[in-house]
Amino acid sequence: MRAAIAILKKDLRMEFRSKESILAMWIFSLLIFVIFNFTFEVSRLIMLEIAPGLLWVAFIFSGMFGLNHSFAIEKENGNLRAMALMPVDGGQIYLGKFLSVTIMMLLFELLIFPIFIIFYDLQLSLEMLLLIPVVLAGTIGFTSLGTILSAVAVHTRNQQILLSLLLWPLVSPIVIWSVNLTGMVLAGEVATSFYPLLIRVGAFDVIFFTFAYLLFDFILED
Amino acid sequence: MATPALQLAKVSKDFGRIIALRNIDLTIQSGEVVSILGRNGAGKTTLLNIISGVAKPSSGKVLLFGTDPSDKLNKAKLAIISHEMFLYGNLTALENLEYYGSIYNIPDPGQRIANVLADVELTHRRFDLVATFSRGMTQRLTIARALLHEPSLLLLDEPFTGLDQHAIGMLLTLLNQQKKLGKTILLTTHDLHTAKELSERYIVLDKHGIIHDGSMKETTPDEIRKKYFSTIAAEQVA
Repeated sequence: MRAAIAILKKDLRMEFRSKESILAMWIFSLLIFVIFNFTFEVSRLIMLEIAPGLLWVAFIFSGMFGLNHSFAIEKENGNLRAMALMPVDGGQIYLGKFLSVTIMMLLFELLIFPIFIIFYDLQLSLEMLLLIPVVLAGTIGFTSLGTILSAVAVHTRNQQILLSLLLWPLVSPIVIWSVNLTGMVLAGEVATSFYPLLIRVGAFDVIFFTFAYLLFDFILED
Repeated sequence: MATPALQLAKVSKDFGRIIALRNIDLTIQSGEVVSILGRNGAGKTTLLNIISGVAKPSSGKVLLFGTDPSDKLNKAKLAIISHEMFLYGNLTALENLEYYGSIYNIPDPGQRIANVLADVELTHRRFDLVATFSRGMTQRLTIARALLHEPSLLLLDEPFTGLDQHAIGMLLTLLNQQKKLGKTILLTTHDLHTAKELSERYIVLDKHGIIHDGSMKETTPDEIRKKYFSTIAAEQVA
């Protein structure tokens, strides 16, 4: 755990110093909300239908940026090789990177959500607290798989393209279910299928995380 | 007899159709300082990568202190100094060393970091971002980073490249200290003078294999130069 915490602290310190990733993620999401809000004149009912999708488009595309950035900083000065030489389990390195990407993404989601509420004129209610487990589960699923695939893609010249190609097919179910769950909460219609679907997302999170944690040693090898 | 620091038996490495190393047999005892000489592309860096466990050999066996190089305990005994700095430009010198101190779980990190920073004369720049350092200062910090966890085996891949005379002198002093402490040092270099000054043994790599393995004491600098340059001359004639 010591190594994972050291990597997490190092990543967060670097990110808060440069604010490179979080600013880019925030501006990108703001653009999505502005464009969709002012370009398409649709009724409030239709807007409510598409709002969950828009929210997750902002989350996921910004998350992609965070994932690419997370290992790009390790490529600088050969730090990826330094990681392979560390006297720790690959799983510890994975855990550190996973935690830093997840924390950054959750922080970004926290910053962008009030803007989303304002732009789409949504009413705050107690039921919206149900978005917390939905966002948590969706984000963890995305970052647990994204972190290991980002480590694979960073060795290649077309890192960003390869990451998208590898990640999208695998993470699509989690994103689709998260959009569905968000839609239920925003519409104020939490159906009986809500909790089973949330548990399904959670189960995928556990599978992805365990698989990535155990395989990370092989990713670090040349 | 004590376990050798390093044993390579019939080690080969190829990258697809490109052969990097072929049937390397090499044993290095603990406390030995060995220079690896050879022209560019002779396979020196590949050899160091295999020894460090970062790259797997295509065939053959590598033992570091009697066990597999990828063993966690072995990794803790190892340090590499190469053209890759293993440092983060957006962190200060102190933060970089604190990070590696945590990773290697060094005891009394504050004192140890202060000592290595003093050794490389960077104490006054410890709160500055590494991105603001000159090449020579960054290389000095790289040396501090490598020595931080007091490794038993030092792998140096052309460590004098880009250093000014002052930094070269500092690195030589630090390496001589490590030598006195009984550390094993494996060094690749094109600088025959430094190789002669530091090491007791030299090997010349060429045509993917070891073509000379001899004692520095029993060989004059001219003889080493001839053996080293013969590999380059032979290639030019061919």
